[in-house]
Amino acid sequence: MTRAQIILVRLALLALVLGAWEVLPRTGTINPLLLPPLSDVLATLANLIGRSSVQEAVAVTAMEVVVAFIIAVPLGAAAGILIAESEYLGQVFKPMLFYVFSIPKSIFLPMFILVFGIGFEQKVAYAAFTTAFVVLMSATAAVESVRPDHVLVARSFGATRAQILRRIYVPSMLPILLETLRIAMIFNFTGVMIAEMYASRTGIGHLIANWGENFQMPQLFAGVIVLSAVAILFNEAVRALEEQCSTWRT
Amino acid sequence: MQHLANLTDVRGRAGESAIEVDRLSHVYAGPDGGVPALVDISMSVGKGRFVVIVGPSGCGKTSLLMMMAGLRRQTEGTLLCHGRPILDPDPERVGVIFQEASLFPWLSTLDNIEFPLSLRGTPREERRGRSQAMLSLVGLEGFGHRYPHELSGGMKQRVSIARGLVQDPPVLLMDEPFAALDEQTRMTMGHELLRIWSTTRKTVVFITHSLTEAVYLGDEVLVMSARPGRLIDHIEVTLPRPRTYEMMATDVFGRLRDRIWQQIRKTA
Repeated sequence: MTRAQIILVRLALLALVLGAWEVLPRTGTINPLLLPPLSDVLATLANLIGRSSVQEAVAVTAMEVVVAFIIAVPLGAAAGILIAESEYLGQVFKPMLFYVFSIPKSIFLPMFILVFGIGFEQKVAYAAFTTAFVVLMSATAAVESVRPDHVLVARSFGATRAQILRRIYVPSMLPILLETLRIAMIFNFTGVMIAEMYASRTGIGHLIANWGENFQMPQLFAGVIVLSAVAILFNEAVRALEEQCSTWRT
Repeated sequence: MQHLANLTDVRGRAGESAIEVDRLSHVYAGPDGGVPALVDISMSVGKGRFVVIVGPSGCGKTSLLMMMAGLRRQTEGTLLCHGRPILDPDPERVGVIFQEASLFPWLSTLDNIEFPLSLRGTPREERRGRSQAMLSLVGLEGFGHRYPHELSGGMKQRVSIARGLVQDPPVLLMDEPFAALDEQTRMTMGHELLRIWSTTRKTVVFITHSLTEAVYLGDEVLVMSARPGRLIDHIEVTLPRPRTYEMMATDVFGRLRDRIWQQIRKTA
């Protein structure tokens, strides 16, 4: 199949899903109270986007996501590299971290509320906490993917420590690290959402949770659309960064 | 075979040595005073000579090579290369070629060959010129822009040899460079190596556990015992240069190979 054909099929599938969303509630096949027709949801969405309270909520959520990401990635990466590189630190912390990694992080949410309240800091702290773990684990794997024979070859050619780091470690680790960024963003966004839905005064997560509790289905679905748009935007931003790095790599 | 250079002038004059090892011993740290790996090794490699070290696996021959390369420090004894001690890797004096080709998968063939030069900040045009020259020396013209995953095992090892030669070090250390290759490729590569050696006039220290390879390639063969490694025999390979595959069927070749085998067997 040509690329054009594949795109055509994709669009057809999308149209089918959206069409069903419109038609099925209207015909009563699906209860419109549970799934309002697409046109109703879009009308609500247009209305909501105009409201300053919603705009503010989106801005707050986006800010939380960005700040948490900026904190979590270097922190997790540094910790992961230290643990992988230092035999001592690795032996001390590795088992501990692997056990903690297996625990669902959301059970720590009440503790974060006690320490940070239910504002901006708590969202950032909780999301950064969950994300740093993912980055840490991947960074460890990335360091372990550096082949000792490559390091030995570089040393035999008289490479300095800095050169080994830049010329061997970085390119060896890059594929895993780039992949990590995207996965980290997904975890990061999820962390912010969970924190917002659990206890908050603003943010998209908070709005969606409220609408759900109050059975305001058009608003709820409009919120989901907004949230999806923001999440896809972030994912694409990280992917653009990834592509930037891979062109540099070659 | 005519293309092989006349090798008499390649061999250095007597007494001029590229590598001088004097009462070298090595003990791996551990409980009860550690594990002895190398015991009282003394040897001398003449300039331009092709010296092969054979020994059973685990005899410490790789350790010895790592020390000659400045990648590992012996616990006792001295090691001189062109009259100066070897304390750290010095690519100006010594090039190392490892068992695995160990090419960097993120670099093209040419960039791999240029890697040692790029560490020293050699200008780009000069780098390209030298890596192209090395590429044709190892017979891989036209593969400069390929990536390692696009090359066969033998080709990778050729690139690795080119990378080791690009800085033109007078000494080449080779740690079982063809061990990971299949028998046929191995034979061809051995032959290729002799051709490259005859044109570049390097001193070569070549490690192997293949007796045939040792006799076929070397001017001299040093035999090491099983762990802890000592030198137990020093054999002059009397076969003329250039070497041919037909020599493998001769009595001289058989006797030399048998002598090495008997020595190794005694200590195993």
